[in-house]
Amino acid sequence: MKRDRKKEKYRYEGSLSLGKASTPYKIGQVINYTLLLLLGIATLYPFYYAFILSLNEGQDAMRGGIYLLPRVVTLENFRQALRHPLIFSSFGISVARTLVSVILSCFFTSLLGYAMTKRDLPGRSLIIFYFFFTTLFSGGLIPNFIVYRQLGLLNNFWIYVLPGIYSFFNAIIFRTFFYSIPASLQESARIDGCSELKIYFRIMLPLSLPVLAAIALFVGVGNWNDWFTGTYFVSRRRDLWPAATLLHDIISAAAFEIRLDPTTGISHDQQQRAREIAETTTPESLKMAFLILLTAPIVLIYPFLQKYFVKGVLIGSIKE
Amino acid sequence: MRLKRRRGNNSTLFLKRKYSFRGVMRRYGAFYLFLLPALAWFAIFQYYPITGIQIAFKNYRFSTGIWGSDWVGLRYFRDFLSDPHFYNILRNSLVISFSKLFFLFPAPIILALMLNSVKNVPYRRTVQTLSYLPHFVSWVVVAALIHKFFSPTIGLINDLRIDRGLDTIYYLGRRELFLPFVVLSDMWKGIGFGSIIYLAALSGIDPNLYEAANIDGANGFRKLLHITLPGIKPTIGILFILNLGGLLANNMEQILLLQTPNTYEVSEILETFILRRGLRMNQFDYATAVGLFRSVVSLFLIVVVNKVSRKLADVSLW
Repeated sequence: MKRDRKKEKYRYEGSLSLGKASTPYKIGQVINYTLLLLLGIATLYPFYYAFILSLNEGQDAMRGGIYLLPRVVTLENFRQALRHPLIFSSFGISVARTLVSVILSCFFTSLLGYAMTKRDLPGRSLIIFYFFFTTLFSGGLIPNFIVYRQLGLLNNFWIYVLPGIYSFFNAIIFRTFFYSIPASLQESARIDGCSELKIYFRIMLPLSLPVLAAIALFVGVGNWNDWFTGTYFVSRRRDLWPAATLLHDIISAAAFEIRLDPTTGISHDQQQRAREIAETTTPESLKMAFLILLTAPIVLIYPFLQKYFVKGVLIGSIKE
Repeated sequence: MRLKRRRGNNSTLFLKRKYSFRGVMRRYGAFYLFLLPALAWFAIFQYYPITGIQIAFKNYRFSTGIWGSDWVGLRYFRDFLSDPHFYNILRNSLVISFSKLFFLFPAPIILALMLNSVKNVPYRRTVQTLSYLPHFVSWVVVAALIHKFFSPTIGLINDLRIDRGLDTIYYLGRRELFLPFVVLSDMWKGIGFGSIIYLAALSGIDPNLYEAANIDGANGFRKLLHITLPGIKPTIGILFILNLGGLLANNMEQILLLQTPNTYEVSEILETFILRRGLRMNQFDYATAVGLFRSVVSLFLIVVVNKVSRKLADVSLW
């Protein structure tokens, strides 16, 4: 306790400050606090800006000038977004692929990590090199594409899950964590006649909840955010698109319009499409509503998981 | 992060003397069983595609398949090297990754030092929590936000310019702005998350060192130079090598989402070129050849970097 307080007291003075409570020190602190405040604002504001635009009437937002608060508040953008024919299927796919990937990936990767903890396993170094080599050299995009086509994974839900089940790096994180669990626990269980699978399920996994949570978070976020797979490998089945791919589709359509007409105010295409969709909603305001819907789950969940992913990063960085 | 292969491991030999095959299986069978799905998965999703690289030397046709297509030797490599875009693409790949290394590598270190000198704990926690957030948001969202801010028709920045009676600018169509966009957006997304590891290293520095320095009358700058930086030097070293190793591996997603046809000249990199030629124009064989070129160069880089760093700093990835 005493030591901690000392640590707290001195750790700050080593960094950017200039001496003890002197004037330059105070100035340094003020600059430091201000810069960090600016960073916080720069991080948060883009999300906030999208949020207020999603709550503002689309046609009105076209006039510009909305910076801090919505001008004409409406939920019409979200109502229109929810009327999009693909919205429910895409969020359903996003949730499904995230859940299935998290479960399968955590199970298989941790099992691999556990198997690698066995230091005296005959052939161990060869097996580990077999896994490790793939982090140095891989087939690349096109050979992967051809293999997916041969396996019938294109335009198939399992393309989202199967190619991402294993990650050598995550397996190493699991292994590193498993090493920190006293081996005597496993030994005594073994003496009591526990099978290896049972040891893994009853002892190793329950003791590894923090690292499981961290890996689950990384895999889950990666799946939720992935638009590439949907766009390029599931191009013919829009009903199998996840929400991120749908958002990409909506945005790239809009970006194309901008390219056609970089100088004038509102392009004809946009006006045309705006009329088709609704009187007050524009593709732009709809885009913001989609963006908020896609981002909201992450923004809402992640502060609660923060301590886990910090742990995950740190375990990953520990040298063997 | 440091993956170390153990050399001179002769436990296999030792065990052979002690156990029969049956004995090994009884003792380790369960572990081999645990490894089995992983061995199979890596064979299908990692090693099997590697055999597909042979189409870089073949005239690939869907009807004849990977193995049945005719060999054409190094034709695609010659084509690529004489492609009018070859120089641009290679230059862009290198310029973007070196700029990222130069600007994005120090950024989290500086942020960690800044956060570390904040005394007010709730303030520090809040800034930390906020700064990690963009890491967890999809690039497609980040790109949408950038388009929203900088678009000429509906963008925030141009709104402000209009308010001041200035002309609108199509920022994302400007060639000279593409590199700043790539570097800054990556910094915005990654700076907070990257600082986690340095913050941990900073909190591991022995506080007694600072106390001793205070007694010796060292000022803040000297403490930074002689205690703080040496304290996190190993972490900086390992992460630097990791970054160097991935030098030729650019973030395809980011480039793909930020490039516009106006900026192709400075934004087209090896990855986006492979994607365009391979999946959009169906030149599988040519794109695979370009991919192989990229893989070989980056493998070479990793091996060299690892060798050099092991010699000079005794830090290595394996």
